[in-house]
Amino acid sequence: MNMATTNLPAAPPARARNLLVATGFAIAGMLMYFGGIFGVYLRERSQVRSIGGAWIPEKARIELTPPGMIVWTLLISVAVMQWAVYSIKRDDRQHALLAVGTTLVMGAMVLVQHGWQLSQMNLVADEGPTTAATLIYTIVGSYLVAFVIGMIFVALMGFRALAGQYSSRQTDGIVAASLYWYSLVFIYFIIWIAVFIAK
Amino acid sequence: MNPFLVGPDCLACYVLTFGASPLVSSDNGKRKTVTENQTETESNAADSASGSLEIGGLAGVFGTSDHKKLGRLYILLGLTGGMLALILNALLRFERINVGSVGVLDFGSSNQFFQTWSLSRTSLLFFCILPLLIGLATYLIPLQIGAPALSFPRAAALAFWAWLIGILIHVVTVFADGGLGEPDPTSQFAQGMDPEATELSMLSIAMVVFALLLGTVCVLATIISQRPQGMTLFELPLFSWSILVAGGIWLLALPVWLSNLAISWVDFQGGDALRYGTVENIWDQLSWLWSQPMVFAFAIPVLGIAGDIIPVASGVHQRKYRLQQIAIGVLGGLSFGAFAQPFFNPDVANQAVFVSMGLLVILPVLAFMGGLVDTALKGKPSISAHLILSLTGMLALLVAAGTSAFHVSGPALGAIQEIDDSWLNGLIMWLRDVQGTVLSTAVMEHVLIASLIASIAGLYYWAPKIFGYQLNRQAGILASLAFLGGLALSGGTNIINGILDEGDEVYNSSAYEGVWDTGAVEFFNIVGGIGSILLLIGIGLVVLDVTVSVILRKGDIENINDPWSGHTLEWATESPPSIGNFDEIPVVDNERPLLSPVVTGGNEL
Repeated sequence: MNMATTNLPAAPPARARNLLVATGFAIAGMLMYFGGIFGVYLRERSQVRSIGGAWIPEKARIELTPPGMIVWTLLISVAVMQWAVYSIKRDDRQHALLAVGTTLVMGAMVLVQHGWQLSQMNLVADEGPTTAATLIYTIVGSYLVAFVIGMIFVALMGFRALAGQYSSRQTDGIVAASLYWYSLVFIYFIIWIAVFIAK
Repeated sequence: MNPFLVGPDCLACYVLTFGASPLVSSDNGKRKTVTENQTETESNAADSASGSLEIGGLAGVFGTSDHKKLGRLYILLGLTGGMLALILNALLRFERINVGSVGVLDFGSSNQFFQTWSLSRTSLLFFCILPLLIGLATYLIPLQIGAPALSFPRAAALAFWAWLIGILIHVVTVFADGGLGEPDPTSQFAQGMDPEATELSMLSIAMVVFALLLGTVCVLATIISQRPQGMTLFELPLFSWSILVAGGIWLLALPVWLSNLAISWVDFQGGDALRYGTVENIWDQLSWLWSQPMVFAFAIPVLGIAGDIIPVASGVHQRKYRLQQIAIGVLGGLSFGAFAQPFFNPDVANQAVFVSMGLLVILPVLAFMGGLVDTALKGKPSISAHLILSLTGMLALLVAAGTSAFHVSGPALGAIQEIDDSWLNGLIMWLRDVQGTVLSTAVMEHVLIASLIASIAGLYYWAPKIFGYQLNRQAGILASLAFLGGLALSGGTNIINGILDEGDEVYNSSAYEGVWDTGAVEFFNIVGGIGSILLLIGIGLVVLDVTVSVILRKGDIENINDPWSGHTLEWATESPPSIGNFDEIPVVDNERPLLSPVVTGGNEL
């Protein structure tokens, strides 16, 4: 037996992955929040349609181009965010920061596209014949809040990486931010299908 | 010392730092300026190694992120909220004495009655039960798992202050005529409601729930990621395990409730609401949190607290430990009720999943109680306040589970009804009618009061660790008797009045239209009112005991580090623990690390 090996001190216990665990819980809570809203939305829509009513008001214009662009932007941002994870795991901080910055720019683009879409939809809440407008605004508004929180989270982790807190030995922050980001993309994918495509 | 001074010796600091000495950080008499806001558990441990670094004065109160101070704050304010909730509960019960009308206690209108009614429910859950449970968890979980601090201490502090501000705003908005809805939108009082106050009420309660969720995430992250070497989830103390299960359910269900609130809020503000934000509909969308099966999620820690107390009181290890953990997990699974929203699915109470959950919820409670009895029989239980309180809590939960089964028995019998038997038809119809009565109030009351009693049992058990003083045994036993009598009278008469067909919407005169015997209902409401007074006396005794034993420092301090010969890690450190909790991180290889060798054998699962 190699004496040098036996004389080594015991390895320290595995480091607590607090941030990853907490992010997992936060994502679970967020998914349940949107699950609750989607449940109400789908049930209400099916009830209106079951009696032959129109769900979306006639004067409303829900075009597919803006949400389609948002989906594509988000899908690209998934690859870019994964690039940040890939880079930080290889101690390539420069590219990790570049990827984080690009993700944030794409996030800003998504916000702008949402703003433009909402301004064009001509959906007026609190006016009949259905509650579609109320629910769509609740879904999109909640999503934008969650999305802004995600951007802040990504930016914060980016700054921490810039300060040297994250490296190949400690990637939790970037990985946690990326998980949150992917869950945001997943939720928008559901919105895209359930609210805009299957309107 | 004058406890009302502002400064290191002010009352607030005094309450928060029992037994911790010195109040002001000092090192050879020199005051330190080190902040106590710890972001990493390692720095807490380092502080522990370098001695006491507690900050005194109001800065130590408002700036703290120490899980022990936050836990104490939650507990003390939770007891205060419990007083408020039980006062409202008593007022509402006396209001029901004169059935079909309002004005006995001069609420003035059905609107004010309804707002008080909804406030009694929100305050009991969000101002009392959850703060007490999260407070106990915030204080004890790091100690039970041998961790130097809570994960995300600053987030935990943010959660506490957001909760406190939110719940105070919520209470104020209700008194400003902004409660969560009005049952009769055509009444003149509905027109007089203040919509801005109602909107603020909705936002504030959302803030409360968000804060409690944040606090829960901190606790859960601590359990998952800070356990010491050798402690798997199966070696968690039962209280920690129950908080893990309960917190997981809260984390999955409360966001759904928040989504209901968000939909109502969007519809409510800005113009004429269409459906979700109309005053008569707001509460209907939110009420599922206080109904079965969801309400049982707030009683999961009842099992955990009893599971930590009874083996210690008996002097033996918990038998069938895995089975006890499974029972807690099953109760958690049977209490997930986010799907059971009658507003959107009026027929849910007759559907198989809902009925099955209502029927089965009694099984894990019975199984857990069986395990506790088995354990107690192997030892010699010593009578103590926390033992009696925990048994009272378990009994209340058992009654709640039994009432829940009765509540859903109509649809259950209907589902298997193949016999064309007229008397069976009549029975089933009667049992179905029972669903819309105060029987559901009885289930809620038993569950939440069980949770309150169990929290107080935990307070008596862990008081030496939390405050550095034991609470008074006689006061605890008296409080337990008051709770037991109060719940028997208050909850028991709700069960009877449910059978007599008193409607659940007691704020509406229509609730009394089908009552079998008005005189009997009124009589039982008088008895129930006496019971609610007894409940109030119970919590009043606890508050008085905490004041005398802890704040006035009259409590026993003999053998304060481990007065009960505890089995779990929190008893391995001083009372109250200094910053860092443990001198060195412990290594654990079973669920009762301080009870070694095992006192009694037995067949383990």
